[in-house]
Amino acid sequence: MSAMTGIAYDARTTWSLMRRGINEIARVPGAAIPGVLAPSIFMCGLTAVFGNLTNLPGFTTDEYINFILPVGFLQGAAFTGAATGVNLARDIELGWFDRLLASPAPRGVLLAGTVLSASLRVLMPVTLLMMVGLALGVSFPGVDGLLLALFLAACFAAVAACYGVIIAMRFKTQAAAPLMQAGVFMAVLFTTSYAPQALLTGWLHDVAKYNPVTQILEAVRQGFVGDVTWADTWPGLLALAGLAAVFVSLALRSLRRSGQ
Amino acid sequence: MTAAPVPARLRAPGFAARLRSEARVVGELGRRSVRQAFRRPQFLAPIIIFPTLFLAVNTGGAGRAVDLPQFPEVHGFLDFQLAGAMLQSTMLAGVSAAIALALDIEIGFIDRLFAAPIARASFVLGRLAATAVMGAISALWFLSVGLVFGAHIEGGVAGALVVIALVVLNATAFGTLGAALALKAKSASTAQGIFPLVFVILFLSSAFFPENLLLEPARTIAEWNPLSLIADGLRDPIISDLSLRPTLEALGGIAIVAGIGTALSVWGLRSRIQNA
Amino acid sequence: MAGIDLEVSEGEIYAFLGPNGAGKTTTVRMLVTLLAPTGGSATVAGFDVERDAPSVRRAIGVALQEAALDPLMTGRELMHLQSTLHGLPGDEATRRGGELLTRVGLADAADRRVGTYSGGMRRRLDLATALVHDPKVLFLDEPTTGLDPVSRIAIWDEVRRLNEEGTTVFLTTQYLEEADQLADRVGIIDEGKMAAEGTPAALKAQIGRSHLEIVIAEGGSEAAEVVMARFGDPMPSKNGVLMVALEHGASDVAPVVRALDDAGLCVESLNLVQPTLDDVFVEKTGRHLEGADEEQPRPSDLPADEPVSA
Repeated sequence: MSAMTGIAYDARTTWSLMRRGINEIARVPGAAIPGVLAPSIFMCGLTAVFGNLTNLPGFTTDEYINFILPVGFLQGAAFTGAATGVNLARDIELGWFDRLLASPAPRGVLLAGTVLSASLRVLMPVTLLMMVGLALGVSFPGVDGLLLALFLAACFAAVAACYGVIIAMRFKTQAAAPLMQAGVFMAVLFTTSYAPQALLTGWLHDVAKYNPVTQILEAVRQGFVGDVTWADTWPGLLALAGLAAVFVSLALRSLRRSGQ
Repeated sequence: MTAAPVPARLRAPGFAARLRSEARVVGELGRRSVRQAFRRPQFLAPIIIFPTLFLAVNTGGAGRAVDLPQFPEVHGFLDFQLAGAMLQSTMLAGVSAAIALALDIEIGFIDRLFAAPIARASFVLGRLAATAVMGAISALWFLSVGLVFGAHIEGGVAGALVVIALVVLNATAFGTLGAALALKAKSASTAQGIFPLVFVILFLSSAFFPENLLLEPARTIAEWNPLSLIADGLRDPIISDLSLRPTLEALGGIAIVAGIGTALSVWGLRSRIQNA
Repeated sequence: MAGIDLEVSEGEIYAFLGPNGAGKTTTVRMLVTLLAPTGGSATVAGFDVERDAPSVRRAIGVALQEAALDPLMTGRELMHLQSTLHGLPGDEATRRGGELLTRVGLADAADRRVGTYSGGMRRRLDLATALVHDPKVLFLDEPTTGLDPVSRIAIWDEVRRLNEEGTTVFLTTQYLEEADQLADRVGIIDEGKMAAEGTPAALKAQIGRSHLEIVIAEGGSEAAEVVMARFGDPMPSKNGVLMVALEHGASDVAPVVRALDDAGLCVESLNLVQPTLDDVFVEKTGRHLEGADEEQPRPSDLPADEPVSA
């Protein structure tokens, strides 16, 4: 019985669940490709369409792509997280997840394994994003800016995956996929995604001010627009920690509830 | 075989009766498709929910663009954006129709239709009728949303009617493209992969921003993109008085899309009948 | 398909029997104009399937496989659609739909979505849709595959009723019991070719006659053998089991039992071994029919262990 408990067991189980999540890309590449390409497509598209917004007085940068690329980081994280939720829904439909639930693995380990794979997988869209962005002349954010952005994106992906898990456990069907995608889509875009806070209009002006994701976005944006400073970083970290606390506990609760 | 007279109920009905019967079939299939869209929310979501979200974000995020010197005269940025939202909605409706058609083929429902004494094309026409209805719903939705949030339809009631008519025609045109896609793709998940393409094509047009304010190379592509014609035609009755030229140009754009879609659909239907 | 020649007379039930992959579904799809024949020709209800396809479609009813049902529609909506497809105007379509739903016993479930129906219900609905226009010829592709015995028998009853009303039925099946029970004539198909054709009885008779295996209570064996010899050719007994090849097949069983009873002999066990269509299949193709005897009701089986008291 000792092999079934303890840190080593937890770590091993987490890692093998993560590995499975990553292998899914190799098995169903068609499903992963839109998620990997979408943020880059969006970045190019939004830059081409709204690029001239930088001419507005009060815009914080001259090149729109610098402003938009960080949004792509979070979008990549968001879609990766949503995809995790969809995969879980499929596993539930196939009955495979029942097997995991019936195993002695603690719910926390199950959640970690499922969700942390998203944190690793976010590297794919983000790498493509950086390659395309650099090719199009985005200003390099500096090593500190890039590492920070990656870290925030990985954490955000995990939070988004928790949201996906909650929806998947609640509806138990892949038909809930649009709900997962729309949710994260809104979370990322209802921020200072298109323009600095001062230039937002109407309802978005208010929503963005109170949306915690805005803080995370601004933290990621450092380096691309302006310098990396602690003053701009800690609100993002705080927002991330807050979101993580909420969504991880809700996801854990939904996993624990399902056993009953 | 002896020359026994063919019993009445097996004789082919006369032309007028056949036409009436065919029309009933198209109507029935259309009704079924619309019911399907409402019974499967993941088909409805892309037509209404995503474009509305996008509209909200675009308006809130880029709303100050009206202050840019080269921006055309508009009552508000929302007024400008409505056309893009409607165009996006109808295109996604076309893709949804493609997915639904592909599913019908996958589950063998198409066999039921092909074994019955109906015209082969009615299968596609029924789906097109439904797409036209979804177009009308979409147009009414976005015009209402616009009005609720403060937009003005400068062209008045006539302008609104022109917009609705153009959206319905546009939805049907994209329906033909969707049908062609379904007949060729044969699997619903292939059809589903087309969604991102819709966004790309729209970004390369004047759907969301004035053509003259796009960055290159999008600006040059937009100048040649028939979707720009359609977007401008949808937009004109909202942001200014009704005028003939943008409407005609939009009809031209729609005709191009419909032409390509119909040609590909006919080709797809033919090869499907042969290889059934 | 290697080449099939067959002819089905008006008013008969013809069964196409063969394992999966034999070409049954392909043949049916050609006959119902869903597939163009690669060679040769076919006429259904007097119309050529290639030149006169619309006329064929007007004359036939088709129940291919439950997959052709839309799970999101209700039974009533599907019947209405099928009626419209066959040219019935609105109110007539509604009436006809209701009529047929009642006939197949789905009136209560009519307003539920097909996705909630059981396999048996879906098959019945499929059958109902094939009947909207009173077809002359009914094509059923594997009508009872995967059904429980009760549903299977219900479908058989309905097919017999339709046939009595004058409909010609062409069905495909992998179950020899189904072909045996329902069909006037059977065509045994294997690997795209016709292996044998004829009435079930004639086909089985080609193989041999059924024989009876009887165990008699102690002491009566010789007397029993004499009795049994009146009903057919005696066969060598094995381990105390007496056997006789019956002259008239199964219809001789009751007379044999009565004769033994009259002679005061006590039957301990009795087994009727009939040649089956599977035996025919084995004879013609060297292989057994796949899944031929799995999970099937065998209404023709006698209660083998009922002792007949002296």
